[in-house]
Amino acid sequence: MSNIIESHNLSKVYNPDTIPVNAVSGVDLKVEEGEFTALVGPSGSGKTTLLNLIGGLDYPTGGNVKIGGIDITEMSENKLIDFRLKNIGFVFQAYNLIPVLTASENVEFVMLLQKTSKNEREKRAIELLTEVGLKDKLNKRPSELSGGQQQRVAVARALASKPRFILADEPTANLDSKSTENLLEIMAKLNIEDKMTFIFSTHDQRVIDKARRVVTLVDGKIVSDVKQ
Amino acid sequence: MLFKIAWRNIWRNRTRSIVVIASVAVGLFAGMFMMAFFQGAVNQEIDSMVETQLSHIQFHNPAFIDDKDVNDTIANGRAIINKLKNDKDVKAVSGRLVTTGMISSSSTASGVEIHGVVPSDEKAVSSISKDVIVGVYFTGLKKNEIVIGEKLAGKLGVKLHNKIVLTFQSKTGDLTAGSFRIAGIFRSRNSAFDESTVFTSFDDLAGLLVTGDGVHEIAVVLKDGQKTDAIAKVLKTEYQSLLVQTWTELSPQMALLTGIMDQMMYIIIGIILLALMFGIINTMLMAVLERQREFGMLMAIGMNKPRVFFMILLESVMLTCAGIPAGILLTIITVGSLARHGIDLSAFSQALSQYGFSNFIFPVLKQSMFLPVSLMTAFTAVLSAIYPAIKALRFKPAEAIHKI
Ligand SMILES: Nc1ncnc2c1ncn2[C@@H]1O[C@H](COP(=O)(O)OP(=O)(O)OP(=O)(O)O)[C@@H](O)[C@H]1O
Ligand SMILES: [Mg+2]
Repeated sequence: MSNIIESHNLSKVYNPDTIPVNAVSGVDLKVEEGEFTALVGPSGSGKTTLLNLIGGLDYPTGGNVKIGGIDITEMSENKLIDFRLKNIGFVFQAYNLIPVLTASENVEFVMLLQKTSKNEREKRAIELLTEVGLKDKLNKRPSELSGGQQQRVAVARALASKPRFILADEPTANLDSKSTENLLEIMAKLNIEDKMTFIFSTHDQRVIDKARRVVTLVDGKIVSDVKQ
Repeated sequence: MLFKIAWRNIWRNRTRSIVVIASVAVGLFAGMFMMAFFQGAVNQEIDSMVETQLSHIQFHNPAFIDDKDVNDTIANGRAIINKLKNDKDVKAVSGRLVTTGMISSSSTASGVEIHGVVPSDEKAVSSISKDVIVGVYFTGLKKNEIVIGEKLAGKLGVKLHNKIVLTFQSKTGDLTAGSFRIAGIFRSRNSAFDESTVFTSFDDLAGLLVTGDGVHEIAVVLKDGQKTDAIAKVLKTEYQSLLVQTWTELSPQMALLTGIMDQMMYIIIGIILLALMFGIINTMLMAVLERQREFGMLMAIGMNKPRVFFMILLESVMLTCAGIPAGILLTIITVGSLARHGIDLSAFSQALSQYGFSNFIFPVLKQSMFLPVSLMTAFTAVLSAIYPAIKALRFKPAEAIHKI
């Protein structure tokens, strides 16, 4: 299988001029299509930083990231926005959704940015929200949804743009165990049925147990990489 | 959907948005009110000048204007007056004799401009006959009647039916004096005019000046004052030997006043809009900084910078556009009612009437003001959203999302 993500000697130093922090240093990571990979490690080990670099939300201070063979670290900020829109789905720990839009409008929004037709947008939003079990919450605003439901809308939104892979930074950190399990089930199902690639960071052992590959970071370096 | 998002975003902070909408409305109202007020004042001033002194068009012997020499009468003035009276655009015509002289009572004397008028004609041309507060505007029964201003009567210490003496130079160059009895005392809006102008009958003055049939000045009031320039142009070619002047030519300072008022209005509106601008900048900046994480998320999932920029501008424009109709409505209601009843400025009337202004100002709301003022306000909204929008574009998604 081909690598959709490939990082080479990837490094990020924060505050290089004052008190340098080597958040990520010399990371070589290859991710294949269809993976369900957990990024783990103690707090401050560089998980968020690494995900930001892979997702093109930040620029590295050294090395590079190739997505589908294209080096994204060379891209301008504006080009990166467009690249993210077309290639990467994001699920953040919180504040994923536009508060003034309903669940289905939030899902439609990315498709709007991609200039998908109105009919197709509406159809797909209903489909995706049904897939994540929120068929009856289409017209609810984020504030009317539970934390778990909001995260499921975020997953549906991430899928809406038909990305190559989805990055999720501690998607379950704010959820109770039942919601966590529910979200993980949905992600696993999408991974198996739709071959959607997921890379997520987590502290939660039950989430780690569900992953099929676990990459462990310590002090910005990969210390173990196991398939299970 | 951007419109939907922008519109709903406005209502996320209801109080703040209502404050902005209200300040746009009040700012717009204040600007329009000022314009209507000054427009009303200027219009009234022009009307009053046209009514009391200038009329729409005046004819003179070109030589008369320089030194008001008694000899410089209009040749065959009577014939011209009769011809003008039959013109379909002309409402009224009055032929006048005009000379400067001295008016004296038993106690004191004062320099005045003496107007010899045919009362029935002059009544139709100027408003002085309506401003008579004591006595009448010529009984027409006796010889040597005079009508003088209240201010002058006070200065001379004379009352109705008192005698005064006018002294001036006749056509032959002799110093002539005539004794007149006060038939009426007037009070116009312009106290300077009241102090310096007196009226006698045409025939009495003609007798003393020995001008015979001669006329110094022909004043014309048109049926439609808006046509003044067009009609004057025709008359100028018809009477090339005479000096034909419109009221703006007769009183260039009036035209200047109108110009100054226009400039002042734009300065005032500029100041109001500037204040509005700081209000909107402040509000939008707060709204943007509050939503830093949201903007970070939007850019992370692929909303490009032009779209983010446009959305923020849209929010500002929507806020303002909600305020504009409110401001226009407020203006129409308030100014509309004041235009009917007038604004009472009698508290300041002493000073105002010295400059010829009325005690009551009737603001004039021009429909044509709405569009430019609304556009200027909308433009201000766009302008003041630019800085907050640029601020939002500087957010780095990676940092913005993780801000707690
Ligand atoms: N914007 C920043 N400026 C300076 N230092 C930063 C910044 N972001 C992160 N760091 C530092 O970089 C290191 C890695 O941080 P990172 O957030 O990637 O860790 P993490 O593994 O995601 O931690 P956690 O599990 O707590 O989320 C930490 O030492 C952190 O303090
Ligand atoms: Mg983290």
